[in-house]
Amino acid sequence: MDTNREDVGIAIRSAFLSRGTQQRFSLFVLTLLSTLLIFVETLESKPLNIVRSAVKDFVYRSAIIASYPSKSFSGIYIFVENHITLYNKYDKLIKENQSLKDNINKSDYLELENTQLRKLISEQIKSPNNLVSARVMLDKQSPYLNSYIINIGSNKDIKNGMAALDGKNFIGRIVDVNFFSSRILLVTDLNSKIPIVSKPSGSHAILSGHGKNALTLDYLSKDSKIQNGDTIYTSGKEGIFDPGIPIGLAKIENNKVIVSLLSDLNQITFVNINFGKYYKSQ
Amino acid sequence: MSLGFNNIRFKFLELVPLFLLFFISLNGISIININFFSVNIHYILVYYWVLRKPQSLGYGFIFLAGIINDIMLGFPIGVNALSLLAVAAVAAYVRVVTVRIQLINDWVSFIPALIFANVVYLIALYYSNYSFDYLYLVKNSIFTFIFYPILWIFFSIFLNFSKS
Repeated sequence: MDTNREDVGIAIRSAFLSRGTQQRFSLFVLTLLSTLLIFVETLESKPLNIVRSAVKDFVYRSAIIASYPSKSFSGIYIFVENHITLYNKYDKLIKENQSLKDNINKSDYLELENTQLRKLISEQIKSPNNLVSARVMLDKQSPYLNSYIINIGSNKDIKNGMAALDGKNFIGRIVDVNFFSSRILLVTDLNSKIPIVSKPSGSHAILSGHGKNALTLDYLSKDSKIQNGDTIYTSGKEGIFDPGIPIGLAKIENNKVIVSLLSDLNQITFVNINFGKYYKSQ
Repeated sequence: MSLGFNNIRFKFLELVPLFLLFFISLNGISIININFFSVNIHYILVYYWVLRKPQSLGYGFIFLAGIINDIMLGFPIGVNALSLLAVAAVAAYVRVVTVRIQLINDWVSFIPALIFANVVYLIALYYSNYSFDYLYLVKNSIFTFIFYPILWIFFSIFLNFSKS
């Protein structure tokens, strides 16, 4: 019995404490270092923030370089797939062409839609003074965290908590600012809680994200008169966002209010950051 | 000349797991998600190589890959590093106590590695005030366990090829 216990002890010591063949660090030391880093992450100090920002900026830029092979590979894959499916696509195109000819009367509608889309793009480029435009560098909608990484940070006076917009629609808030990059926590994320007000019913609530599932309204009063189709706006009660930024439309399903966003989060390349209370007029 | 080429080829193939580890971290694709199916390839990669050929995947690199993964996925720095080291620790222990290389042994001993890593993950995220889907974590662990033999076979073929 004692011998068995000794064996286990020797095995554990050998696995955790000794560095082993060609290992520079022991597992024990690295585990301690990781725990220390998690603890340090909860501390806020200027030198620490500078180091964090520099490291994160470096990793984000490296990630862009590292993602080139996968992007190129997906490009080659699409190219090959296009060639393989050429005949099927040709067939499909003939049918589509016929369908388009049949629907030629709808062109007026498409023209109108096109004008609206151009207006939307123009809004993004000619942002008002309290907005700053940014490009989405990395779109990391992981199972655990739905977020974007954008290409501006403290170099453009971005601060934690600022609202991120797609055109004029609210899509998330800044949660991490580095020198040349920032992270936007999307409204769909589990950690996202946004105070809202519905119009025209005027009900106040908290908009909660649920990952892949639909957004819901929490803490809605029992006598709330919210109805299908009500528009959801930021209430500005947290004191950072401007009130009245449109977010989505309410829909009542099984006595539960769910919210469908006005923007499609999978189709966003540029975002506007609203300075809100941080805005300093020139 | 031939000896030199073989040497370079051997060195290159030895570095492949390391490249793969950092490639996965930098692209933030440690978890493959296809509809209901979800696999953590980071855990499998670390577990297999620490168990079978630890000199190809140093603990320091595993730690660094975990840190990069944390930054990419927006977690508190150190969480993924700690869970990957937990997987590496179980693999190192299993390596010390086992002699025969068998898929079934590796596969069964992968269960405590997954449990240990997920417990570390849960504790670290709980104390960092991060909300996340617990059910998803369970689902991910089950699929990672099921998927392990496929990557085990793939890695074993690669390992034999690099030795030959």
